[in-house]
Amino acid sequence: MSHGGGHKWGMAIDLDRCTGCNACMVACSAENNVPITSEDQAGKGRLMHWIRVNRYWQSGWPRPESVHIPVPCMHCGKAPCEPVCPVYATYHNEENLNAMVYNRCVGTRYCANNCPYSVRVFNWFDNKWEGPLDEQLNPDLSVRSRGVMEKCTFCIQRIRRAKEQASTENRALRDGEVVPACVQTCPPGALLFGDLNDPDSEVSRAVRNLRRFRLMEHLGTEPSVTYLKRVKGGGT
Amino acid sequence: MIDRRDFLKFTGLTAFTALFGGCEKLSRTIVPFVIPPENYVLGEALWYATACRMCPAGCGTLVRISEGRAKKIEGNPKHPVNRGKLCARGQAALQGLYHPERLRQPMKLAGARGSGSYTPITWPEALAILMPHLAKIRSEAPESLLMLSGRMRGHANVVADRFMKGFGSPNRVSWEPLGHDAQLAASEAIYGIRDLPEYDLANARYALSFGGDFLETGLSPVHFGRAYGAMRQGRETVRGKLVHFGSRFSMTSANADVYFPVAPGTEGLAALAIAHVLLRDKLLPQAAGGGVWDGGLKEITPEAVSRRTGLPPSAFVETARELAGNRPAIALAGTGPATMGNGTYNLSCVALLNALAGNYGTPGGISFPDRRATLSRFGGDAQLIAPAPESGHGALRAATDRMRKGAFRVALLLEPSNPAFALPPAFRFEEALGHVPFIAAMAPFIDETTAHADLILPTSHFLESWGDDFAPMGHAGNAITLMQPVISVYHDTRAIPDILLAAARELGGPLASALPAGNFREYLANAYAGMEIPFEQALQEGGYFRMKPGPLRPLPKDAGHSMPKASEPAFAGSPDRYPFVLRLYPSNSLLDGRHANLPWLQELPDPLTTAVWRNWVEINPDTALKLGIAEGDGVAVASPAGTIRAHAVLHPGLAPDVVAMPLGQGHGRYGKFAGGRGENPFTLLPDATDAGSGSPAWQSTRVALSKVALKGRLVRFGFPEGQWKPDQFIA
Repeated sequence: MSHGGGHKWGMAIDLDRCTGCNACMVACSAENNVPITSEDQAGKGRLMHWIRVNRYWQSGWPRPESVHIPVPCMHCGKAPCEPVCPVYATYHNEENLNAMVYNRCVGTRYCANNCPYSVRVFNWFDNKWEGPLDEQLNPDLSVRSRGVMEKCTFCIQRIRRAKEQASTENRALRDGEVVPACVQTCPPGALLFGDLNDPDSEVSRAVRNLRRFRLMEHLGTEPSVTYLKRVKGGGT
Repeated sequence: MIDRRDFLKFTGLTAFTALFGGCEKLSRTIVPFVIPPENYVLGEALWYATACRMCPAGCGTLVRISEGRAKKIEGNPKHPVNRGKLCARGQAALQGLYHPERLRQPMKLAGARGSGSYTPITWPEALAILMPHLAKIRSEAPESLLMLSGRMRGHANVVADRFMKGFGSPNRVSWEPLGHDAQLAASEAIYGIRDLPEYDLANARYALSFGGDFLETGLSPVHFGRAYGAMRQGRETVRGKLVHFGSRFSMTSANADVYFPVAPGTEGLAALAIAHVLLRDKLLPQAAGGGVWDGGLKEITPEAVSRRTGLPPSAFVETARELAGNRPAIALAGTGPATMGNGTYNLSCVALLNALAGNYGTPGGISFPDRRATLSRFGGDAQLIAPAPESGHGALRAATDRMRKGAFRVALLLEPSNPAFALPPAFRFEEALGHVPFIAAMAPFIDETTAHADLILPTSHFLESWGDDFAPMGHAGNAITLMQPVISVYHDTRAIPDILLAAARELGGPLASALPAGNFREYLANAYAGMEIPFEQALQEGGYFRMKPGPLRPLPKDAGHSMPKASEPAFAGSPDRYPFVLRLYPSNSLLDGRHANLPWLQELPDPLTTAVWRNWVEINPDTALKLGIAEGDGVAVASPAGTIRAHAVLHPGLAPDVVAMPLGQGHGRYGKFAGGRGENPFTLLPDATDAGSGSPAWQSTRVALSKVALKGRLVRFGFPEGQWKPDQFIA
């Protein structure tokens, strides 16, 4: 794997494999210290999941059809959330990640307002992990405080860990070495992650698939997440 | 952070407590260990292999440990069941481990039974209550001891069995509501082998699902999830097709290419109609099946089945042609048709379709791998170590009747699968418990069942326990999974086998000589001494996975299949008073309710309704319109057995004469995360069973709906880019 210009992280989501089982959501919550809210807060649209599985009905009885679409942060190449942040809390890093600096965030929520994918979630409260549930918290990343926006990071702590491991062993990162929590657990293997700058990586090959599309592509956000369309077999 | 003064204070305390025991209590408030293990580097995580026990599928896991605390669970890539993958429930096991309401020490009943009011006591105090009871009945009437547990596997089951045999009581009942009795009975009837088949979904070109729920809550969801992905997109030029016949639009049906709605309980008939066309039109030359044809299949024409299922005859003809033209093809059945009054019949029909289509032993077909080579090393204990995945419902019924007659003086409840919650009221389980003078439970939580115990001994979480496990299905059954404590015991708890070993030692006599080991780890290490891979190394890998897969078992009944004996589904209530068939299904997150106390799973949206934190009743939008019920309205769901209330979800996938509810919610005594989240659908059921296997029939009643005022509202996860609009589907 030789290519210049560092990494460009991207994800491919094969909707023909996705079953809608939600394993990615719990894996993400466990990995990223995503708080649970409550029924009351959930009712106000304040669930904190960094990845969600949308369900769209396409038709109803007697020929019901629905499709599941997992939606993490798209890590847009031209991210609508970035230019509206007055304090540069959300910015684009050199590896094509749309990153957050939590301690810069002042909670204007402009970014969430400007995100067409609605993947940003806001800490309306200081979320408490009732002991000893806090023993589970991942020490690799912080617990966000009240007034701070958060969202999917493509598990940046796992990217860093893999890079450190590679550099200790004095070698380049291998394809498939960086695995976000959702990708790791996905039972049908619907999620793929890797370096889009590496033309031979699994994810690069997936995004060349003819079934590819991107969410709300017409907005010009240049998402780093590519979807592969679900195929519908024929029949009565 | 601790400052210097605190540090000195705690160091002093540590020295004190080290002398007088109980130091683990202190250590967990500061750092997990004073003397770290050799391989520990601050800030670097360690991974330990063990098994998942969140459902009976038996996946292998790796747990990330940082500073002595479990942080994250992932699938074990070497494990043959799940190959590195894990479902939402498995991921959430950590919340069971670190649950705020887990019992931290033994509890003594302080109020009426069932009240949930307990006083914490110490282990010596608890054993001083339990042991005299056991000693007394052992000398007077040992057979008056009852042991009720969930379905145990591996050497923990051997210890429990030895304990009861050594004690002198034959009264041991294992009850698991997620048993597969109907599938076992169907395999036996059609193939002559009482086992779960392995389905090679990954290599199939055509999969026929009859009420299958294999992607969410069936036999082994992660195993099938992986295979499903491979079936769809794992091959360069082939995309497997999935066709679903079912009476409820489930997550698995949502993934099907074609969904055929059938009347509840006619899933088996649909399979037979397809088999009929296969033979009639000689679509598969090898499918002779002479005996079956004359034995009754001749009469099961697509036209006849069309009237029963509500599907046009062409559906069966076309499906049969597709099946014949796209080999290998397999048929799978799921929990829905299995938990009908004619569950065994439904599953036997599906098994017969597989048999006639010549799917046995082919890649992309079904098979019964021979596990006897693996199990032979355990000799007579093999049946205990890898027991058939049955519900044990008949044995529980017999024991309940005998409880009522006063046959038992002491009952031991070993992490029971909450029968007080997951049984219909007419079973009268709770009332029967009242006839047992002394009940001791060993469980991690107080739930509806353990709340009846006079004494509760807190048990360790499976992530804190030694053990071994055998996945119940397929080729994975040739692997032995080992479990080890990935962290040291967090509360003052003990594992069930260790409690039993200690009790046996104290009771002495033949019981002590039947269970000579000092602790369960020693017992396990002895059991696996002399394996080709040393025990310690196997622990590191998560078990013995390099077993050669055994040959396929020959089919005793391969030559002449016979028609399954026709059986009708039974639904309580008359259609004019109770117009809707109630379809109950295990929730994708909570299953039958066992995970209702885990907040991650409570806050996990249902795959199809996106509802969280509460249960609901699914109604076809046209039906709801006629009844004047709108999205989110309170609805009273009334069956002949009882009435519960829930919020309405207008479900475009559901038939107009069927309503559906998820199981799992409606707990009264399972802690604050589970409490106050709707009412329990099990209370709507009559005490009905599958006629062929005796397992619980969850699809056994009709209901009536009416609008009621109901406090609170059903929260749907929804999504901001747009949600299904009811008027879109109302003609």
